[in-house]
Amino acid sequence: MTVDKDLKRSSEEKETQLLMGNRAVVQGLLEAKVGLTTAYPGTPSTEIQMLLYRLSQKGQLYFEFSVNEKVAFEIAGAAAMSGVRSAVIMKHVGMNVASDPLMALSYFGVIGGMVVIVVDDPGCLSSQNEQDSRFWGKFAHLPILEPSTSQEVKDTIVKAFELSEKYNMIFFVRMTNYTALNTSEVEKVVIEEKMKRDGHFVKDVKYLIPARYIYHKELHGKLLAIGEDPVFQSFNELKFSDSASDKLVITQGAIYPMVEYARNYVGVDVPILKVSAIHPFSEKQIVSLLKRFKYVYFIEELETYIEDEITSIIGKHNLNIKVFGKNKLGIPQENRLPPDLMLHPFKLIASDPDDEQTWNFKLPESSPYPQVFERDGLLIPRTLPRLCDGCSHRGAFQSIKQAVKADYILPSDIGCYALGQVSPIEIGDFWLCMGASIGTAIGHSLVHKKPVIAIIGDGTFFHAGIPPLIDAVLYDHNITVAILNNRLTAMTGGQPSPSSTVKKAENQNEIDIEQVVRGIGVKWVKSVAAENVQENTKLLKEAIEYEGPAVMIFSGNCVVELLRHNFDLGQAPYVDQEACIYCGICYIDFACPSIVKKDGRIEIREETCTACNICVDVCPHDAIIARKKT
Amino acid sequence: MKMGENIEQNDKPFNIAIVGLGGQGVITLTKLIASTSFGLGKKVCFNEIHGLSQRGGSVQSLIRLNEAHNPIFAAEDVDLVIGMEKLETIRYLYLAKKANPRVIMTNKYDIRSTHDLGLVTFPDEQEIDKEIARYASEVYLFDALGYEENFKGKFKPLNVPVFAILTTFPELGLPEKESKELVLDYLGRNMFIRQINKKAFEEGPKWLKKLEGSS
Repeated sequence: MTVDKDLKRSSEEKETQLLMGNRAVVQGLLEAKVGLTTAYPGTPSTEIQMLLYRLSQKGQLYFEFSVNEKVAFEIAGAAAMSGVRSAVIMKHVGMNVASDPLMALSYFGVIGGMVVIVVDDPGCLSSQNEQDSRFWGKFAHLPILEPSTSQEVKDTIVKAFELSEKYNMIFFVRMTNYTALNTSEVEKVVIEEKMKRDGHFVKDVKYLIPARYIYHKELHGKLLAIGEDPVFQSFNELKFSDSASDKLVITQGAIYPMVEYARNYVGVDVPILKVSAIHPFSEKQIVSLLKRFKYVYFIEELETYIEDEITSIIGKHNLNIKVFGKNKLGIPQENRLPPDLMLHPFKLIASDPDDEQTWNFKLPESSPYPQVFERDGLLIPRTLPRLCDGCSHRGAFQSIKQAVKADYILPSDIGCYALGQVSPIEIGDFWLCMGASIGTAIGHSLVHKKPVIAIIGDGTFFHAGIPPLIDAVLYDHNITVAILNNRLTAMTGGQPSPSSTVKKAENQNEIDIEQVVRGIGVKWVKSVAAENVQENTKLLKEAIEYEGPAVMIFSGNCVVELLRHNFDLGQAPYVDQEACIYCGICYIDFACPSIVKKDGRIEIREETCTACNICVDVCPHDAIIARKKT
Repeated sequence: MKMGENIEQNDKPFNIAIVGLGGQGVITLTKLIASTSFGLGKKVCFNEIHGLSQRGGSVQSLIRLNEAHNPIFAAEDVDLVIGMEKLETIRYLYLAKKANPRVIMTNKYDIRSTHDLGLVTFPDEQEIDKEIARYASEVYLFDALGYEENFKGKFKPLNVPVFAILTTFPELGLPEKESKELVLDYLGRNMFIRQINKKAFEEGPKWLKKLEGSS
C-alpha cells in the first residue's frame, strides 16, 4: 500500500504540512508560477519529477520526461530565452549530460527565470559516483543556492527565480539526498491555477556573433554584483551569534541541521556560519563576518569547497585567523557525513587549538552508514538488492548466461539490469554511465578477439545508446547488443520511457526500438519475448557468431508495474519432487527469490511468486510444472 | 502489558530508528508515526534511506519526535529501535551498542534463497536474539509469525500492529484512542481497508512479549 498523501495540520495562525524536500521543490515551483518544467528520471530527485508529472497530467503546468538531461535542459533553456519561467530537474550525474548547452546558454543568460535543480547523492546510495555539484557554479559562472530544510527548499526556489530574472542568469539550487529525502514542516500554500507559458522570443544579434568572450566578461561582472546583492547575501547566516567564543565553525546549507545537532549534542558554545550562497562568494561579506574570530573550523560534506574559497579570502585579506580544515578535524572527504562523524570533530573544536596535544588523536571507530557485517565473531550477511520476483528479464539473463562463455566481455549499463551484475546472476562486467555499454563494447571489440555483448535497457538506449550504435554500424564493429526492454524507466520507480505502451503521458507516442535499430542500419535484429529462455539462447548464440553489429531486443513488461494494476497475476507453478534431481539450475543460476530450498527440497514460495512461469522453461528436467491459469 | 511506566513524558527529542527490508512497510510505519504526532500538534521530522528497497534491499528510516528540522541523529543517541526483520535489527544494534536503547522487533527472519548459495553463513536465530539482548536494555518481541497465521484474509498489515504497540509507550505521546482514529483515517477511507487495519491495530499488542534474557 503506498501512502503518498500530504500530512497537514492547521492552527489558528497558519496551515502547515509535513513535506519531503523533494515535494517542497514542487511547492516552490508552483509558488514561483513556473510555466515549463522538464526532467530525466534520477534518484534522489525522482519524487520532484513524479509529482510534476502528476500535476501536468491534470493540466496545471507543462512537464515532460525528456529523453535525456541535455534535451531537457535545451527545452527549458529555450523557454527561458523567450521569457517563460522554467525549471529543469535532474540528479547530479545528469549535469554531465546537460552541461554542453548549459556552458553556452550561461553566456547569453535568460529573460524568464530559469532554475536548475540538481540533487547530489553523497554515499552513492543509487548512483555511479558522488560528484559534488557545487563546482558547476565556478565552472559555468552561475550562482548556486543550497537550502537546509524543506521550508528553506521552497523559499529558496521562489527567491532563486526572482534573482534569476533580476540578473538574467540561470540559477542552480543544489540539494543532496539529505535535504531531498528529509521530511519536515512547511507552511502550506494552495495554488490551483494553471501556469501560463506564453513566450515571446526577441531576435538579437548577440546570439549570433562569434566573439563570445564579451559575454564571458559580462558574466564575471554580474557575478560580482550578485555577490553584493543583499537578498543573495542573506542566504549566509551567522547562527548562535551571541556566543562570545573566538572560534567559528563554517559549514554548508545542505548539512547545517546535522551540524547544529552535533554542536548541541557535544555541548560546545561556538557560533556556526551557515553558507547557503555557495557561489559566488562576496569577499566583503566574508571578511566582515569573520573579523571577530581567531580560529575557524570547516565542516562540510564531500570536497573542501567552501574551505578553499574562504581560506583564499582569509589569505588575500591577511586576516589574522588560524584555519582548521576538515582533514585536520578527521572528517572524510567521501561518503555521506552524518552527525556520528561530527562528534569527535566538535570535541576537538572544544579543545585548545594551540595545544599540540589536541591534534594528536586517533580517529574513533565509526561508520557513516548502518551497514555492519561482522562484530565479535557474529557474521551479519549483507543485504543485497536483487531483480524482482517475476521479472521477465531474469529470463533474458538466463539466456545470456547460457549463450556466453566465461571469457566473453559483457559491458553493462545503468538501470535495473545492473542488479544482474552481482551475485547470484553475475552477468555484466562493469558499468560506467548512461549508454556507455555500447561505446565501450566497440572499444573492447577492437582490442580483443573475444565476443563482446553489451547489455542495455530501453530507457538508457534512448538516452545515450543510439549514437554509439550508429558508430557500430558505420564501421561495422563486431558487437552484440542485448536491449532489455521493460517499457519503463523502472529502476527509479516506474516513469514512462519512450517505448512505454501502458504507462505514458497523454499525447505521448510510443517509439519502437526495432524500427530505430533497423533505421540506423543494423542488419541482424531480432525482437523476442524475454521469457522464452531456450529459444532466445539459440538466437543469441547466432547473434554472437554474426560478423558485425547484431541487436537482440528482449521485451517483457516491468513486473512491479504489472502488480500495480493487477495484484493477483496467477497461481504459482509447483515442483515435481520425483523429477527434480537438485541440479541447482533454477535455484543457483536462474536464482529467482521465490525458488527456495526447504529441508533439502526445492520449493516455490507461493506468497511471492508472480506466476511468470519462466522457471518452467528454465528447468531442463521438466520438474517445474505450470498450473493452468484460473 | 504497559511499557515504560516510570518514564515521564517531556519535550526532549525522542529518537527512533526503524529498520527492515523493502516491502515490509518501514516507510509507511514511519509516516504513520509522523502523521499521528503531527496531527496531535507535535514537532516531528523524518528521513528515509531506501536506495534499492523495492528490490529487497535494506531500508532504514530515522524519525525524531519533538524536533522540527533535523531527523538524523548519532547512533549512540537512539532511544528506540524498531526492527522489522532480525538480521537488519542486529545490524543496526551493532552501531548503536553504546546507546543501550529499547528494542521492539518482529520474529521475521528472512534468509533470502538467492543468498544461500553455500557461500554465506547465516547466523542462528537464537544467536541473534542473544546478541540483541546484550546490546539493548529492554527487548520486546512482536510475534509477527503468530499474528499472521492467526490473521484471516489475504492482506496482513505488519506496520499497523507495530504502530499499535507504540501507542502503549507513554513517552512517545501517542494516546491509543486518538492515534487509532488518525491512523485509520490516514490509511484511507475505504471501509474494507479500514476494517482490516482496525483489526490489525487491535491485534498488535496481544502478540507482544518481553524477550527472555533482556534486562
